[in-house]
Amino acid sequence: MSDAPFRNPGWAGNTGEFDLSEEQVRGEDFVGARPLEGGHAAGAASYPYMLADKEPEAPLFEGPYRARYEKILTRYPNTRAALLPVLGLAQEVRGHISPETMDAVARLLDLPDAYVRGVTTFYTMYNKRPVGRFLIQVCTNISCNLCGADEVMGAFLEHTGTEMGETSEDGDFTVVEAECLAGCGFPTCVQINSRYYENVDAGDVPKILEHLKIQGE
Amino acid sequence: MAYPYVSDREVRILSKHFGDPTARTLTGALANGRYSAFKKAVDMGRDAVIDQVKTSGLRGRGGAGFPTGVKWSFMPKDSGKPHYLCCNADESEPGTFKDRELIRWDPHQLIEGCLIAAYAIGAEHAYIYCRGEFFEVSSILAQAVEEAYAKGYIGKDIQGTGVDIDVTVHIGAGAYICGEETALMNSLEGRRGQPRVKPPFPAAVGLFGMPTTINNVETLAAVPHIVENGGDWYRQWGTEKSPGTKLFCVSGHVNRPGNYELPLGFPMKELIEDVCGGVRDGHELKAVIPGGSSVPILDAAECESCSLDYEGVVSSGSMLGCASVIVMDETTDIVKQVYRMAYFYAHESCGQCTPCREGTAWVTKILKRILDGRGTEEDLDTLVDVTTKMTGTTICVLSDSVAAPVQSSITKFRDDYLALIRRGERVGVA
Ligand SMILES: Cc1cc2nc3c(=O)[nH]c(=O)nc-3n(C[C@H](O)[C@H](O)[C@H](O)COP(=O)(O)O)c2cc1C
Ligand code: SF4
Ligand code: FES
Repeated sequence: MSDAPFRNPGWAGNTGEFDLSEEQVRGEDFVGARPLEGGHAAGAASYPYMLADKEPEAPLFEGPYRARYEKILTRYPNTRAALLPVLGLAQEVRGHISPETMDAVARLLDLPDAYVRGVTTFYTMYNKRPVGRFLIQVCTNISCNLCGADEVMGAFLEHTGTEMGETSEDGDFTVVEAECLAGCGFPTCVQINSRYYENVDAGDVPKILEHLKIQGE
Repeated sequence: MAYPYVSDREVRILSKHFGDPTARTLTGALANGRYSAFKKAVDMGRDAVIDQVKTSGLRGRGGAGFPTGVKWSFMPKDSGKPHYLCCNADESEPGTFKDRELIRWDPHQLIEGCLIAAYAIGAEHAYIYCRGEFFEVSSILAQAVEEAYAKGYIGKDIQGTGVDIDVTVHIGAGAYICGEETALMNSLEGRRGQPRVKPPFPAAVGLFGMPTTINNVETLAAVPHIVENGGDWYRQWGTEKSPGTKLFCVSGHVNRPGNYELPLGFPMKELIEDVCGGVRDGHELKAVIPGGSSVPILDAAECESCSLDYEGVVSSGSMLGCASVIVMDETTDIVKQVYRMAYFYAHESCGQCTPCREGTAWVTKILKRILDGRGTEEDLDTLVDVTTKMTGTTICVLSDSVAAPVQSSITKFRDDYLALIRRGERVGVA
């Protein structure tokens, strides 16, 4: 795939350069970083809630996170409806949602503990266990699969030295299988923390991992 | 950086600004004419907006193809309750990748569509439900929403029209089933994303128990253009029953995969050969899934004459769905790919209905057994039998979605199954 004539300008760039900055890929008009405390409340829920650096004991919520939490609550007629975005916020600061985090969120939103556990475990994006600094989700669904997703998956496992779902010894990488990521025209589509890498083939994998290790997020 | 996937056969209305990063800023969007249709809509009045959308014949782009204007007209007139609009940006049907591009290249087009729809149905609040994986997409969208709020294009007394509408970007957390409209509402309410039994329909009892309309991103993105230019204008493309243009998401074994905006009724053969540069590396075509993983597979002969509109694809033996065209060449291992789809549905079943929860799991296990060379010919009958019992017996159609690829592949590619069962040989590698 790497010498295919056309590539989507995704995180992989259209040249397979995995070390491009957001602005380089998106153009100068892409407004990159957003204030941690959020802008208008309408967008307070949509933040990348998978960050490399995680603090499993971080308070729920303080400082700018508190501000975003309060903004989120204003957008719904009851606290229950804020549950998914608030769990997202909790994952953003803590990195995963432990049973204790579920209970803490339940208290915050005045919902029964068992209810919050039931909802949290329904959704796959809440990490129930700690994950590595980089959570690598490889789409192996049909469109990617037709174009070699299994090999890409194999390469990520091989080069991180892990089994699927396991975190590498240095704590850097967790590789999991993902269902269709809606990047099917640009196979294989891989999500690493909050970013999409598109048109990834097995040969690109060492480069991507090396870049992640050097740059952090 | 120009968007690389273009063809001179396209009619680029919704995708006109793909590849232009200035289109996502408010300044760029205003230069592209965004937000003028909203003012026009308010001048026309609610009923006239719904009439124009009815005239256009726009059909829901989320998969079912239900006429949008008709759906809007189900909303009560003077209910005295809050009304809601939900925009379905949960895009997760395998093979579908259009909503993501629509939002990240031209978010204001969608926002304006939401505002017009919300105005037409009397909604005070529009929630845009983005799938959780769409961090980049929802960040772009949120920034566009923030900018539009700051300049008075969303919120109170929008553009001096006296109309108040709020827009909120909501994000899910990874569950395909939340794309189903009633599951989406449950998820938005902070519940597990499990579909609701219908009736009552969302127009009567929807989000937070209030009258609600749910539309797909692409459906709403088309609305400003229809309001701006009139319903008849939209009908210059497409067929009588499937008017307008549609984004075709082409993936799999073609030389130039990507999103292409084409008039409905476009011949599949020309889509693959002309627009997408043909099957990759000169291989032969084996099969095509024309509408995402939930629809029956077509073999190469059926693709020859297939016309890509809602009725055309049905008469070829499948469904247009969300026009996610997955192309497979002769190197494809059909059994493996059908297994992969079944595995997906087993993973995504919400578990409420026994035929779906048990059926998807068993179908996946049987397919795996066949794939491992331990299947029997009887297994094929069992698969047909199980999937038949999974059709039309459940709360939502996820269960039916498994039957489509399984049954169609057993009928059309029986030899591939038999090669595995009788000789342990796999046909194809991809
Ligand atoms: C299992 C399942 C998944 C669905 N996923 C989506 C989706 O991801 N996006 C979408 O727009 N519609 C999806 N739909 C269709 C929606 O239920 C609904 O029909 C659609 O959002 C209505 O919008 P429209 O009339 O504009 O097409 C799904 C339906 C089912 C049964
Ligand atoms: S058919 Fe399947 S996904 Fe749909 S409601 Fe029933 S169990 Fe859930
Ligand atoms: S199949 Fe891989 S992104 Fe859709």
